[in-house]
Amino acid sequence: MNTEGDLLHTVTADDIPESRKLTGRAMVWVTASFFLGLVSIQFAHESGWTEAGFENWRPVLLAYLLWATALCAAQVIVNGEKGKRTLFVLPAALFVISLVVFPLLFALYISFTDWNLASLDGAQPNGWDNMRQMWRDAFYWNALKNMAYYVAAVSVEYVIAFGLALLLNAQIRARKFFRVVFLLPLMLSPVAVSWMVGKSMLEVRFGPVSRLVREMGFEPSFFGTPEMARFMIMAMDAWTFIPFMMIMLLAGLQALPREVIEASKVDGASGWQSFKEVIFPLMLPVSVTAIVIRIIFKLKLADIIINVTSGGPGGATDSVTSFIFREYRDRSNVGYGTLLAMVYLVLIIIFITALLKLVSRWMERPA
Amino acid sequence: MKVDLYNYIKAAQKMNRRQVLKGTAAVGAVAMMPKAAAYADGHGNVRAEILKIPGVGAGSPTDSDWQKVGEMCLGATKENVAEGELAGVELTFMGLNNQNLHNFLFRGFLKPWEAYTGAKINWIDLAQADYNARLQQSIATGTVDFDIIEMGAPFEGDVLGRGMASEMPDWVRDQIDMDDYVDYLKAPVGTWDGKTYRVSIDGDTHTFAYRKDYYESEELAQAWADAGNTTPWAQPTTWEEVNAQSKFLVGKTDPLTGLDAHGYLDPLKGWGGFGFYFLENRAAPYAKHPDDPAWLFDPDTMKPRVNNPAFVQAIQDVMDLIAADAYPADQINADPGTTAFQQFLAGTGGMLNWWGDVGSSARTSDTSVVGDVVGFDINPGSARVWNSASGAWDDTPNVSPNNAYIGWGIYVMATVDGDAKKKKAAWSAAAHLGGKDLSLWASAYPSGFQPYRQSHFNYDEWEEAGYDRAFVEDYLSSNADSYNHPNAAIEPRIPGIFQYYSVAEDELAKGYAGQYGSAQETADAIAAAWEKITDQIGRESQIALYKASLGL
Repeated sequence: MNTEGDLLHTVTADDIPESRKLTGRAMVWVTASFFLGLVSIQFAHESGWTEAGFENWRPVLLAYLLWATALCAAQVIVNGEKGKRTLFVLPAALFVISLVVFPLLFALYISFTDWNLASLDGAQPNGWDNMRQMWRDAFYWNALKNMAYYVAAVSVEYVIAFGLALLLNAQIRARKFFRVVFLLPLMLSPVAVSWMVGKSMLEVRFGPVSRLVREMGFEPSFFGTPEMARFMIMAMDAWTFIPFMMIMLLAGLQALPREVIEASKVDGASGWQSFKEVIFPLMLPVSVTAIVIRIIFKLKLADIIINVTSGGPGGATDSVTSFIFREYRDRSNVGYGTLLAMVYLVLIIIFITALLKLVSRWMERPA
Repeated sequence: MKVDLYNYIKAAQKMNRRQVLKGTAAVGAVAMMPKAAAYADGHGNVRAEILKIPGVGAGSPTDSDWQKVGEMCLGATKENVAEGELAGVELTFMGLNNQNLHNFLFRGFLKPWEAYTGAKINWIDLAQADYNARLQQSIATGTVDFDIIEMGAPFEGDVLGRGMASEMPDWVRDQIDMDDYVDYLKAPVGTWDGKTYRVSIDGDTHTFAYRKDYYESEELAQAWADAGNTTPWAQPTTWEEVNAQSKFLVGKTDPLTGLDAHGYLDPLKGWGGFGFYFLENRAAPYAKHPDDPAWLFDPDTMKPRVNNPAFVQAIQDVMDLIAADAYPADQINADPGTTAFQQFLAGTGGMLNWWGDVGSSARTSDTSVVGDVVGFDINPGSARVWNSASGAWDDTPNVSPNNAYIGWGIYVMATVDGDAKKKKAAWSAAAHLGGKDLSLWASAYPSGFQPYRQSHFNYDEWEEAGYDRAFVEDYLSSNADSYNHPNAAIEPRIPGIFQYYSVAEDELAKGYAGQYGSAQETADAIAAAWEKITDQIGRESQIALYKASLGL
């Protein structure tokens, strides 16, 4: 019996013979070589270097699955019980690699090709051409500029959401009823919002909102000018997602220690002072979380825009996602569309990382 | 027939149950009389009989009706395929499942065919929105898992251009009587490099719908004359007149609704590429020269013509109307669907171009108020036409209907070519669906398809089936005249054609929003974007495919 190593977490001590270990390692290496061999053959075939190859990549996928299975089995064969522990994580890790890491790398490759689905030549690497095209693409930069507006609108949404959360946290009549009512827009799909509100209620001729505006003596036009159209998109998106921020902030408010607030009142703080000096600072962590999550939601904004304005008038409401949607869906421009998405991903990572750094630095207080 | 059209005709005739019974009884009686055998093609009896299933005004047809029709139209199949000859063959059919039409009908039509031939068909049903993506992905990844496909002609470049379809055997050509097609569906449509691939089951065109009550209004007529116009206040026949009338109607009152009157409604927002068809309506008479089959690209270089003076004129016309405030509020955010169904049918605007179903919804849609006052015609013409060969305007009047989208067809994939029995089965199924008699039924009852054969415009048959002749003739003749026009504008069937349309929509939206300095600048931006797409897809191959699609 083994008397060395990690005995605390070991149920059975394995005495694995060298031949078994060799078998396990051989399984991994043989299947890996088989997999890599098929990759090379298929790659050469697809590139037109050799005749030999398969009709599609499915055999390669099966070889990958064979290798993954062998790798998992080999953990137990080589390491015994320790391998079983590895087995709790390894399939999940392989799954993530298959469905996240590989597609990401593949997308990176695609984004440097001129792949247009209508092209007879398929995907052809085109170096930095897509990047150069993006640099000159007024539609993309316009969409990025719009995203800055949309993200900035989160600050207004936050103020409204905080106000509503304070209201719903106060001792008002029918508080539970209002909590449910204010949550309702969040339960609607943005697609439903865009049709019910954007294309029905705001419809210039029949829409009830338009009729009201007309009754008031104005000529309704909700999407006629760039500024107004952008504002209406922001408003519809805000209407849907303010309840989300509100409910997070409400949860934060309810979790605040009562003693501190009561102590501030005993010390003679007014309502405003109590909010400014006690409640708001205590709510900062929740606020930051709500804002960051909301910004992440906002960066994906597309459905309302696609349905209501298609990015118009003249690109005034385009978001990056709605623009990429058009490049992909309407123009089958897979290579360029993927590059735009990858660049957007990098920008988002940089932006969110910087934001979190700033916030954490800001919230660190001197001892 | 499109469902809306069917409902429209029923509503237009205002038939009650008694009239329907009278109608069907009359049709039945007529069918039994010797006169019915007077049709020269020998299919007369079948044609009259199938039109009684289920009977005009007797509710929407069901699966049993489709099967009955399929059974009764098997005669042509039986001439080429012996009973049980195709036993053991399995085919996969990919098509649409829109509105419970398309594939749903095909299933019923083909069930008796399956029973007779012994072949079996498996089905891939797609929503319209998924169709393009599914097809493009199948093509791009080489995963063609279907033997027969229902496909629009604009995709022929993608499929036929790649040699992915099976060439039509001669016996199919004879079975479906291709000479009966309306002119624009004849070659080069459905053909590639001189070979025929398509069994047509539908036709598409934009027709001009206008409000007759505008021209019956004495008040408007007087105001028109008072404004110094010497031409009569009547339905416009040229785009110049359309524009003049649209500007004149600013500030006037709609005779039907009492709200603001408006002239022609241009959709100014994109619609996944389909919005470009509406600029084409305006541009076609300016750009489609009778002596030149090409009008969107130069066939020798693929240089876009979208920035030539003809298209610039069309864009300028729209910009002028925007500047004149001639459109309803928020028109900049109105896509074609909004323009047709929420504006024109609801009484906003006096003129519109659309496919077969705008007029058909006029009396059946709950929100439509224009059913009694709508008239139809072919696309307006122009006083001059751009001659690309000479690089100058020809000051001769020109007319050019825009046969937008060209309609659905049945295509057999080249994957069946290696197996003679399977190939015969696939083509027999396609020929059955595109058969002359069966297509008459499909054009008269809800099917998702419009009439597309000369014989579909034999109004006697419609009348005998119980339809109101005056109405049918009035409405369908605008379609027939567009189809058969010698100078019809037909879109290039090249790969990625909707990519060109889509990017044009984006640039037009910028132009209409005033982000470009002029119509020329807008058109130049479209042309530049088109050049980029052409280079990306492959200029040489696009030139070859474009020439092939034009039959050059």
